[in-house]
Amino acid sequence: MRATLNAVRAELFKGFRKRRFYLLAGLYWVLLPAVALITAAVLDHNLTGSFANQGGQIGQVLQGFASPFGMARLALMAPALMSPTGYIVAVALFAGLFIGEERTQRMWKTVLAVQPARMSVLAGKVLAGMILLAVLLGGALAFATLAGVVGTLFLPTTFAGPWGQVAGLFVLQWLQLLAALLLAYLLVFLVRSGTLGIILVIFLPALLEGLYTVLNTLSLLRPLTRVNAVFQALRLKQAWEALPHYFFSANLYAPARHLLQPFLRSTGAPEGADLGPLSNLLGQGITLPHAAAVMAGYALVFGALTAWLVARRDVE
Amino acid sequence: MTAITASALTKRYGHVLAVDGLSFDIQPGEIVGFLGPNGAGKTTTLRMLAGLVRPTRGRCQMLGRRVPGPSLLEVGTMIEEPSFYPYLSGRANLHHAAVLHGGVPERRVDEVLEFMRMELAAEKRVRAYSQGMRQRLALARALLWKPKVLLLDEPTNGLDPAGIAEVRAALKTVAMQGVTVLISSHILPEIEKLVERILAVDKGSLRFDGPLQGLLGAAGANTVSYELEATDGRALLDALADLGLKPTPHGDAGARVAVPAALATDLLSGLATRGVDVLEARRGAASLEDAYLRLVGAEGRPS
Repeated sequence: MRATLNAVRAELFKGFRKRRFYLLAGLYWVLLPAVALITAAVLDHNLTGSFANQGGQIGQVLQGFASPFGMARLALMAPALMSPTGYIVAVALFAGLFIGEERTQRMWKTVLAVQPARMSVLAGKVLAGMILLAVLLGGALAFATLAGVVGTLFLPTTFAGPWGQVAGLFVLQWLQLLAALLLAYLLVFLVRSGTLGIILVIFLPALLEGLYTVLNTLSLLRPLTRVNAVFQALRLKQAWEALPHYFFSANLYAPARHLLQPFLRSTGAPEGADLGPLSNLLGQGITLPHAAAVMAGYALVFGALTAWLVARRDVE
Repeated sequence: MTAITASALTKRYGHVLAVDGLSFDIQPGEIVGFLGPNGAGKTTTLRMLAGLVRPTRGRCQMLGRRVPGPSLLEVGTMIEEPSFYPYLSGRANLHHAAVLHGGVPERRVDEVLEFMRMELAAEKRVRAYSQGMRQRLALARALLWKPKVLLLDEPTNGLDPAGIAEVRAALKTVAMQGVTVLISSHILPEIEKLVERILAVDKGSLRFDGPLQGLLGAAGANTVSYELEATDGRALLDALADLGLKPTPHGDAGARVAVPAALATDLLSGLATRGVDVLEARRGAASLEDAYLRLVGAEGRPS
């Protein structure tokens, strides 16, 4: 336990001395709320007194994304809707810092000679990554809320909103990033290249899921003639169609994207607006307990594989 | 309790047998030189002792406990090219290692920096360090937690003569405190000045394990080296060649030559009969380099 804590402290000492962490935090904490606030100010200035606001919709829209609650929700949701997502960029960055760099700087032999408890070193690296992610998400929540508070000084917005829900979703999203972090560590360690590992972390899940989509389309083209075969094929098809519910990306971002429908409603979209083919990819229809269970499964598999590799591999 | 034990240590990489059944014991406080030509298996052995590489067969113990294990926390290592986080300063790199290892007070970082005469460069980022400075910093890091055993692979690589002398002095100081040192180096005169015992490996197998004097004595028993001065250097070299020897010129009218022990007594009379007027003849002791080359052959000449 002490060795793990030592490893966490050592990794954080290193992590907080990396400029790239502050660059990412700056973009996430400051740029996003600033853009949202400027957009809200422009909307308010141009539309609030116009015919478009006869039903008070503009105020509703501004409350939806520029109020303190709206900003907090945006800070959670926006990184999950980017491509590649902001979350996976952060995870890849920390994997590069804590695992990839050990290889590029030939530091494994030094690190493991200084602290020979390999599992403690790995646990320390995972915990340090999770702590930096917590700082990143916590900082985003704080800065976004603060920007929303500033917005209340000149925008028709209030503090109202389900704060408990958004805070809970932040925590759940952070916990689910553990699986992504472990996948990133595993890939970087497996391919023995920081750069290739980081590229794989960003693109591999999407690539596999895209491959599924292509195969799914092709499977529909297969002619079926016998009745029995039709039933079999339908069963298979149902299982195949249920597969996205276990996809890495769909489940990983489920907490952040959980607020997408309420957000769309707040912008005036009709109740129960259908997102069409995007629905599956955005994890709509996936419940939070389901997503948490699936990601826990992924974390277990990735964690076990990484631990096995770290424990057994010779350090050259 | 032995400080280091290797029992039938074997490492195979695919078809390549890097280390082949190596066995030795090193007692606490011993300073042992680990010699062998490139590719002899020295670094692989040191890596196995440091718990970085798993032996294919055999086992090693450090301070009476099996490797890998907690006993490695009492071992300081410097294996091959030292590595650091280049964006951190020398001091920050040592601080990182101290925290990672645990139980190292902050003032110890200053102590090892001072011990290795690195105080002035401590705040510079490591990316700006010369090879010699990196070697010193690596040695400082290996000493951070006051280890009982030091495993050093080419610790004087890249150092200038003054740096080599400083590292030698530092290692002697450390050894006087009872630290066991296993040191591999190609700079044989340095090893000769530092160690009491030699382990020599070749092609993964142990070729010699014994006191330094034993190895030198074995070499000295067969050959005697002479440094000769004559009135005519050219005539001296010709006469030595005529005696079937392979002299090397030395100074204006001198030569160095290794003479088989059986011919040593007849050397001067042989030169006199060939008309060479010898002014001075100094008989030298066999060097570790002579002994090493005799042991591993000319192909093992250090690079």
